[in-house]
Amino acid sequence: MVQPLSGQAIYVVLLRELKRYWRAKARVISSVAQSFFFLVIFGLGLGGFIGGFGGVNYLSYMAPGVIGMGLLFGSVFSGVSVIFDRQFGFMKEMLVAPVSRTSIILGKILGGATTATIQGIILLVVAGLMGAFTPSLAFVAGAFAAIGAMLLITSGFVGLGVAIGSTLNDFHAFQLLSTFVMWPMFMLSGVFFPIDVAPLPLQVAMLCDPMFYGVELLRWCLLGAGSPLLGPLGWLISLAVVAIFNALMVGLGTFLFSRAQI
Amino acid sequence: MNRINTIEVKALTKIFDGTVKAVDGISFNVKEGEILGFLGPNGAGKTTTLNMLSTLLRPTRGTATVNGHDILTEPDAVRRSIGYVFQDTTLDIELTGRENLDFHGRLYGLERNTRQQRIKEVLELVQLTDRADNFVKTYSGGMKRRLEIARGLLHYPKVLFLDEPTLGLDPQTRRSIWEHILHLNQEKNVSVILTTHYTEEADYLCKRILIIDFGKIVVLDTPDNLKARLEGDVVTLLFKDPSAIESFRSLLENKDWIRRINVVTSGNNYATMSRMMQTMPKISTNISIGGTMPQMDSITIEGKRKIPKQVQQKSEPAMADESLQFGGETCSKCLNLLVDNGGHRIPEIVKLADEAGVILESVELRKPTLDDVFLSVTGRNIREEEGSFMDMVRRHRIMQQARGRRVRG
Repeated sequence: MVQPLSGQAIYVVLLRELKRYWRAKARVISSVAQSFFFLVIFGLGLGGFIGGFGGVNYLSYMAPGVIGMGLLFGSVFSGVSVIFDRQFGFMKEMLVAPVSRTSIILGKILGGATTATIQGIILLVVAGLMGAFTPSLAFVAGAFAAIGAMLLITSGFVGLGVAIGSTLNDFHAFQLLSTFVMWPMFMLSGVFFPIDVAPLPLQVAMLCDPMFYGVELLRWCLLGAGSPLLGPLGWLISLAVVAIFNALMVGLGTFLFSRAQI
Repeated sequence: MNRINTIEVKALTKIFDGTVKAVDGISFNVKEGEILGFLGPNGAGKTTTLNMLSTLLRPTRGTATVNGHDILTEPDAVRRSIGYVFQDTTLDIELTGRENLDFHGRLYGLERNTRQQRIKEVLELVQLTDRADNFVKTYSGGMKRRLEIARGLLHYPKVLFLDEPTLGLDPQTRRSIWEHILHLNQEKNVSVILTTHYTEEADYLCKRILIIDFGKIVVLDTPDNLKARLEGDVVTLLFKDPSAIESFRSLLENKDWIRRINVVTSGNNYATMSRMMQTMPKISTNISIGGTMPQMDSITIEGKRKIPKQVQQKSEPAMADESLQFGGETCSKCLNLLVDNGGHRIPEIVKLADEAGVILESVELRKPTLDDVFLSVTGRNIREEEGSFMDMVRRHRIMQQARGRRVRG
């Protein structure tokens, strides 16, 4: 049975996500701080030793990746929070309402993508203040493009989170998820080192990591260049992969959510 | 003109996994503005029925209309017609009371002005106006319940489903929730189906009571009519020496003013004993009279007088259940009598006991309650923990099935 989408239902679920995000100040602060430590300690510490990659200093090289980390963790956990909604009963309130499950989950995905992107923007500003980017008109345009890219990247990962959250039933799986899914995805995304210097097996693994393309895309937006490995059309390839990943994950999340048990 | 039926249920059936019949071909109607109570032990099929009526669960067979809309073909219209207050809280405790209501209003497509006006109205109805802008996590259990009831009313449903509305609340809060339910029922003329396993709750609130057990309607009637089925009074006798009980029972058996005799035996099981200890000195209501816990042995003897047909039929399963007992040494017994004109018969009973040389520890007299009615029509006590062992296994299975159920989106 196909039910029509309801704009107001999508909006209200999104609104709830925003309110909850805004109120969880401690969570916002701690995740921004975490990324900040990465930038400071690795950027300055490792940076002094490495110097830089591909003509940019190490802090600048790392900044898009660290922003990507914030996006990745923020969006997946936001999607996985459907577990909490089920556990604490609020899901029933939404499911018994005269709106389709698709509307509910689209609201959830948009809400998660928005909050994770807000997180990304905060990190963008922090990195900018640390001098990671060269101020110019091109950069401002790139920053706006980056915000668009963030929404695209995060909605895909919220979809992934929803898919996982609709399948798993307990909180204990969180730790496993973090260790075996999120961290490898983050570390293989090319945040600390360029794919070009990695040994072949690692390169293959990195090319299989959807987050790698997300970080590539951000790097193109913010630094105006990406990995030589993907060539001058790297941004297009990355955009295409991110878009396909997005469509697949939003579809998978919606499907698994609509057949999940409460 | 007769009052309209808000809900019409026809042969509604839910079978889980092809074998477990949670709801077994039930049919009933709910009139406009009526409060109907589903009374039954846990796992009787109450919540499963509500989930089907609210379109969360698809029936295996049968159908129903809610506010004139078919639950199978018009789920959205049905959902608009109902407010459902679930057994466990479904509030977002990270939001304020008002925000929870606002969320609900938007979800049901209410316009801004309507929404704000109704939020104000329902908050007043459940007296939460002062606390509306506090986070729900600061609310007490009773306040959360009231807020949920208010939320269930926000879209002006024709029917409100209340699943165990006072479960786990203290007596004062329970009483106040009852008053709120009656109040809104009168004010809004909203029909209410409430499920409960508190007989006093059903008695106080409901115009009609539907006793449901193992997915079947056992009886559907007004509380007064149900109690009238058990004419007479309940007299409970506690013996100093339990071994005298059998001989004394046979003395009573041929008295024509005694309608029923139940012998309640408790084994040496600690839980059973402590329960007996707790309940016996005060009221016998909660004692499993004729209950069939594995350790409990129940014998029901019908008096000579006319016994309502339902009672006769339903006492058979209770007898059959005896084969399930696991034995155990007898240490305490009491007799439960259904007696015409109980107050006048007590002297006679005491005299009989004296003549027989039996020492009575206490004699107690009371009017039959819905607990007794439930016992008489189902052959078991309503409290979940006092069914037979096999009943418990079966209920457990049904509840497990019913809980982890995929719902319709």
